[in-house]
Amino acid sequence: MVPESRLWLGALAVFLVFAVFLGRLFYLQVVQGEALRVESERNSVRTVRIDAARGNILDREGRVIASTRPAFDVEIIPSELRDADRVYSALGQLLDEEASQVRETVGKPRGRARFQPIPVSSDVSFEQLARVETHRFALPGVVTEVRPQRQYEDGDLAGHLLGTLGEIRLEQLDRTSFEDYSPGEIIGQSGLEAVLESVLRGTDGGRNVVVNVAGREVERLDEVEPVPGNTATLTLDLDLQREAVAAYRNDPPPGAPAPPARESESPPPEKMGALVALDPRTGDVLAMVSRPSFDPNDFADGVPPETWRALTRDERRPLQNRAISGQYPPGSTYKPLLAAAALEAGVISPQTHFFCPGSFALGRRVYKCWRKEGHGSVAVHEALVRSCDVFFYQTGLKLGIDRIADFGHALSFGRLTGIPLPEEKAGLLPTEAWKLRRFGEPWMAGETVSASIGQGFDLVTPLQLAVAYGALATGVVMKPRLLLRVEKPDGSLVEETKPQLDSRLPISEANLAIVRKGLAGVVNEPGGTGGRARLPGITVAGKTGTAQVIRLEHYEGVDQSRIPLRYRDHAWFVCYAPAEAPEIVVAVLNEHAGHGGSAAAPIAQRVLAKYFEKQGRLAPEALMASQAPKAAAPPHPPAQAAPPPPPPPPGPSEPAGAEPVEGGGTGDAAD
Amino acid sequence: MPRIDRRLFHNFDWPLFALTVLLTGMGMGNLLSAAHAGSAGVFASEVPRQLVAIAIGAAGLILVVAVDYRRLERLAFPIYLATCLLVATTLVVGSVHKGNESWLTYGPLRMQPSEFTKLGLVLALSRSFQHYPPSEIRRLRDLWRPGLIIALPVALILLQRDMGVAVLTLLIGSTYLLFVRIPPRAWVTVAVLGAVALVGLWMFGLQDYQRTRIINFLEPGRDPLASGYQVIQSRIAIGSGGLLGKGWMAGTQTQLRFLPTQHTDFIFSVLAEEWGFAGSAVVLGLYLTLLLWGLLIARRSRDAFGSLLAVGAVGILFWPALINIAMVLGLFPVIGVALPLFSYGGSAMVGTLLSIGLLLGISMRRYMF
Repeated sequence: MVPESRLWLGALAVFLVFAVFLGRLFYLQVVQGEALRVESERNSVRTVRIDAARGNILDREGRVIASTRPAFDVEIIPSELRDADRVYSALGQLLDEEASQVRETVGKPRGRARFQPIPVSSDVSFEQLARVETHRFALPGVVTEVRPQRQYEDGDLAGHLLGTLGEIRLEQLDRTSFEDYSPGEIIGQSGLEAVLESVLRGTDGGRNVVVNVAGREVERLDEVEPVPGNTATLTLDLDLQREAVAAYRNDPPPGAPAPPARESESPPPEKMGALVALDPRTGDVLAMVSRPSFDPNDFADGVPPETWRALTRDERRPLQNRAISGQYPPGSTYKPLLAAAALEAGVISPQTHFFCPGSFALGRRVYKCWRKEGHGSVAVHEALVRSCDVFFYQTGLKLGIDRIADFGHALSFGRLTGIPLPEEKAGLLPTEAWKLRRFGEPWMAGETVSASIGQGFDLVTPLQLAVAYGALATGVVMKPRLLLRVEKPDGSLVEETKPQLDSRLPISEANLAIVRKGLAGVVNEPGGTGGRARLPGITVAGKTGTAQVIRLEHYEGVDQSRIPLRYRDHAWFVCYAPAEAPEIVVAVLNEHAGHGGSAAAPIAQRVLAKYFEKQGRLAPEALMASQAPKAAAPPHPPAQAAPPPPPPPPGPSEPAGAEPVEGGGTGDAAD
Repeated sequence: MPRIDRRLFHNFDWPLFALTVLLTGMGMGNLLSAAHAGSAGVFASEVPRQLVAIAIGAAGLILVVAVDYRRLERLAFPIYLATCLLVATTLVVGSVHKGNESWLTYGPLRMQPSEFTKLGLVLALSRSFQHYPPSEIRRLRDLWRPGLIIALPVALILLQRDMGVAVLTLLIGSTYLLFVRIPPRAWVTVAVLGAVALVGLWMFGLQDYQRTRIINFLEPGRDPLASGYQVIQSRIAIGSGGLLGKGWMAGTQTQLRFLPTQHTDFIFSVLAEEWGFAGSAVVLGLYLTLLLWGLLIARRSRDAFGSLLAVGAVGILFWPALINIAMVLGLFPVIGVALPLFSYGGSAMVGTLLSIGLLLGISMRRYMF
């Protein structure tokens, strides 16, 4: 028998213990209940970001240039792997990879990292995705994720213009313009992708999900859909862009007979250079080409190191947008500027004749005309048509460098044209004051002589030449326009851009008409240097140019084909059409290709032809018919427009004994 | 086995039986929810295993009820020694499971003999105190006999490195101290000796992880992702249940497996999260009733052995409940003690049902003298 009092004591103890428990439960569940409930939600509810698709980029006719497509990644969550080796080898087979490579990628993560998905293969093909999904249940620990991926439909077609994407950089995150960005986000880093960042960027969505202790999503609570970025419609015309690139890649025009087989033992190397096509009435950029190019698709997913190394080490500088940041001597394409400025200043009249014996002596120096035999006595029209150097040497000297610069500035040389691209360069428009500031030396008359034919210090971009010729064609300088309009993904208009007038040319219509007539003659008159740009039924006006890269006496009088490529002359051709009511300007640069008339004009002609063919104003058959007899009997002096291989006129040359002029290559331009 | 007296049925303790059925059913329902957590199938084996344990326990309970407990008087020491022998066997042929060597495996059956040692210990102590009544123990040295009886299984279980069960066995044994008449002066001596023993245990007897557990109990925010994690997650689970709970199978902490060892040691957190203050208070109330009912049986029993045995059976139910709930509520360090009738674990379930069987047997035979 046990004492009853002690049993009561025990009962009391038990009762007290349970009273304490009840009190503790009350404290945790009722007093602290709300706070701990919030904590339990924080435990299990996570907000996941859903990346918004970047807006599309369209050409002026609504064709897709850049879009966003879903990309699928295959990932492995190590903590959920069962029989890892079997999964690795199975996955390797499905993805056409080595099992050992998969194993190496996954490695041996420890601790919390075991719960994190490790990407094994990114952006797999649809077939591979289907294969992995089919075997999903045999592959525990393998997951597939979808994410938006930028896609440039035409590869390197307009790489420089479109620009590149890349992860936001640390110093960018500090800027106010990126204040609502977070680390790791992909943004436009160059070209239009960078300029249109605020337009193209969408609004990321989010999703509240319930996750388990391993961080795996087990349930979706709610979701805010991401809003795709706006659609940007460009002024670009894909047909012209494609035609221009085809010309640089030596692709034959559609419908043209294949090139004779005898020459195709090794296909001719791709041309280098740049092309800009504008609508001079609005400033619309219809085509912008820079070759060699790169494929922006390589950057969309993070540029692979070997690709980056190849691009940056390539001495042809494929990453530079030559159309806006390549600065070249304009050569003879500068001559219309001289003509216009001199006529307006009154230093010459349409009847002013200079005699060209084939060279021009200034002091102890002799400046040659590209045509050794000379042009005889020429006035401004013929000087433009036949590209007489001596006429413009004299004109330039009468005008003086500062008046040349004033008019050049009006034509947009030596300054930014205002195209909305960050990479644009201003070129160089020398003046007396500039020379003094830059070199501490006074300007010399010989330098004016060189500058008069676009050599010496003069540097322009292909875009500036296109803008300048557009201004000569219309009388007004238009700011180049790239963006036509911005629309929401549902098609409603956000913003429409208007053509922007830069300035009016400070020149009378009468004087402009003289220059325009000369430019039309270059293409259409016998003896004109630009005959290879001629179109049947449409009057093309333009000017050839052959820019000396470097003055090397070593190569004096040597055939261009025997000079190392990087020292060969650049070929220019800038033109507009129809001459009576200009709608399109094309500036063509073909680097180290020799003469503008033979190496650049045909490229411009292809783009012009495409433009007019599209509108039904030019029949392709008519174009072919007009070109057919040309091969047999060139209508121009044998010096240019000869069928390939062209027997080029003597290269830029210096007379023996001439003193070199400091500060840049003097010289004379061919054509 | 004697002829079954009709009076036995008449006197059967239906309230206690009903309490047992109710608590076991609730425990099973709660375990269903805890086992369901996570991907389907992972814990599926635990539900049928527990059901098998309940069936075995129920059969044992009926057997214990059928046998007159007074026949156990003579068998008390043999049973005690047999259970100690079983524990000793694990030290030789035991399989290591969850960090200690307390398991015996026979084919598909796996058992933890230490769970049955408690019963053996209670039988042996009851038998001992029957001959040497606790009311006559007035000096500490008079405790040598029960002291030895307790020390043997505790030492064996400590050798298995199963500290939770060792402490539990010690506490169950010490339940009988309630009845000894040792003056307070002597308890001061015990307290001092105990403190010295505790320090010694801390410095030499504990594994590092056990020390960490105790430190983390005292300061749970210190390392939320390591061992304090259990304490914090349990606290969140219980508190987030609020007044009425999140509903059966709807506790986020449970179902998303933020709760560690939720189907064994932290089973009460599952209950508290899904049933709230109301549900946990009901279960606590039922438990309290069960224990007080057991003490009532001890008071009513007409013989000393039955009375002592009933107190021991109450001890077997009370101590693990005390430690487990205190641990889950963050009032005691995490030492891995299961909650009777709720935690997953076959041996504990069988042992608990056998103890209740003892109480039922004692209760219905109280008029037989």
